[in-house]
Amino acid sequence: MSSVIEIKNVTKEFKVLNRREGLKGSIQDLFSRDYKIVRAVDNISMQVQQGEIVGYLGPNGAGKSTTIKMMTGVLEPTSGEILVSGNVPYENRTRNAQQIGVVFGQRSQLWWALPLIESYRLLKEIYCIPDADYTHMLELYRSLVDLEPLLHKPVRQMSLGQRTLSDILAAFLHNPKIVFLDEPTIGLDVSMKAKIRTLIQALNQEKHTTVILTTHDMGDVDALCRRVVIIDKGKMLYDNDMEHLKGFFGSYRTLKLRTDGDHAAQAAAMQKMLPELKVSADTEWISVLVDESRAHVIDVLAQLQKQYTIRDMQLQEISTEEIIKKIYEEGVQ
Amino acid sequence: MKHTLGFYLRLYGMILAQDLKSKMSYRADFIISTVGMIATNVAGFVSFWILFRNFPSIGGWGYYEILFLYGFSLVSLTPVQCLFDNNWSLRQYVYSGDFIKYCFRPVNLFFYYQSEVFDIKGLGQLAFGIAMIVYAWGKLGLAVTVLAVVKLLVFLLTASLVMIALQNAAAATCFWIQNSFYVLDFVTRFKDYARYPVTIFSPVFRFVFTFLMPIAFIAYYPSLVILRPDEVPLLSWLSPVIGVVFFFLSYRFWMYGAMKYSGTGS
Repeated sequence: MSSVIEIKNVTKEFKVLNRREGLKGSIQDLFSRDYKIVRAVDNISMQVQQGEIVGYLGPNGAGKSTTIKMMTGVLEPTSGEILVSGNVPYENRTRNAQQIGVVFGQRSQLWWALPLIESYRLLKEIYCIPDADYTHMLELYRSLVDLEPLLHKPVRQMSLGQRTLSDILAAFLHNPKIVFLDEPTIGLDVSMKAKIRTLIQALNQEKHTTVILTTHDMGDVDALCRRVVIIDKGKMLYDNDMEHLKGFFGSYRTLKLRTDGDHAAQAAAMQKMLPELKVSADTEWISVLVDESRAHVIDVLAQLQKQYTIRDMQLQEISTEEIIKKIYEEGVQ
Repeated sequence: MKHTLGFYLRLYGMILAQDLKSKMSYRADFIISTVGMIATNVAGFVSFWILFRNFPSIGGWGYYEILFLYGFSLVSLTPVQCLFDNNWSLRQYVYSGDFIKYCFRPVNLFFYYQSEVFDIKGLGQLAFGIAMIVYAWGKLGLAVTVLAVVKLLVFLLTASLVMIALQNAAAATCFWIQNSFYVLDFVTRFKDYARYPVTIFSPVFRFVFTFLMPIAFIAYYPSLVILRPDEVPLLSWLSPVIGVVFFFLSYRFWMYGAMKYSGTGS
């Protein structure tokens, strides 16, 4: 195992003009030298091994995209060192590009008017993919997804899901060492999300490709990532196993119940029955926050079922936002 | 990884072939733009012809000489029209942040960006231009020698670089300013003056068109090598160098802007 990405004390600052208000302010701005420095990424270090799938999480504006742009060579770090498969990305942008694949949100990188197969042929040329590898890759794709109906369809006529799928396949086509996926499942329906996750998983296993995945969807993280890196306001908050994170926070699950009768009154009664758990209620659900290290959800459910008629239930995992909030409030590691 | 010129030519050929195929699939669009292009060229020629019905010569230049100049400018303005049309979309890509998608490929960024669009409308202009040059050449009684044809081709090719350079530089301003459309539009309007001998303008404009906005190198100076072989000024012989140098500088400027570009949003 060797690390394909090494990031050491990387910081990225942007110079932003302090804007004034109104027309007069705009005119003053033209001549202004009044800049402030915004630190988008603040002293981040990490190493990623070949074949890992890393979930890169954080709220909007946390600095995720900036980090990815630095790893892909689009941005130069203000200070610190980045090595991506042995290259300094910003200095060797084209050499770096040969080693990586990128899918950036909903911005398709395929030729809009061309049928997919023609786009892939052009990519074969651009990345100098040998014939045998190209054929092998398409064979692999055929075994993973229903490729035929897509191949002869122009990209502009595709649905969002089909386009995302095509873009992900395009990013893996030249068998890169690392693939960056920036919110690949955004805006997709549940079945398409599942399809995309299965595909990413399969490609990672088959080709041993390192995947850096940014997402807001904890479902993506649960399905794919063993390791999670969380950043917020440019600072790294967490870098460890998903399991470890769950040990801290994920041991809490919320059991949501719908019963007959008045929720508020019943919730109060349940709270008395289960003094060590936290019960709350709104018009739709009664929520029981279960600490799984102390009580099992099943036992709680069984206990409650003896006394109440439960019409409906849901089990809720903790969300990224909640995790970040908890890290702030309680700290971790 | 360094790619050879052969690699880029082959890749360009492939992209071009694909692009033409997909353009033909929009048949109505294809036919309408072809008709529009012919109409534009005919209208340009008619106004030129009417002008010469009233003035037998302009600044000591006869009808066929001006016709040659006109043809020369049409041909040397074809590459900028056909091959570099994507410059017009640059500011939208930069503004929306979509420009970033061009940054992830292991090929030259400028090449990759420009290769995306081939504007087929320029080909009509090319045909008109060639016809005018051939016709005027015959009427002027210029000798047809291998040397003359080679000279013509070399000077046409290098002259075409001048307008490409101006357009690249104008388009690249969008990496710094938001309303770069006006810069690009402003520069493009000057190309219509390229078809006249620079000597008919006042000294101030002559200076501007030669040294500041060097459109006199699109047709006037290089044409003199063919039209007036006995009295070729130094600037004419220099015009190939000027074309190449200007193109190179504009390319560096464009790339400098693109490298500075950091993308907006996620």
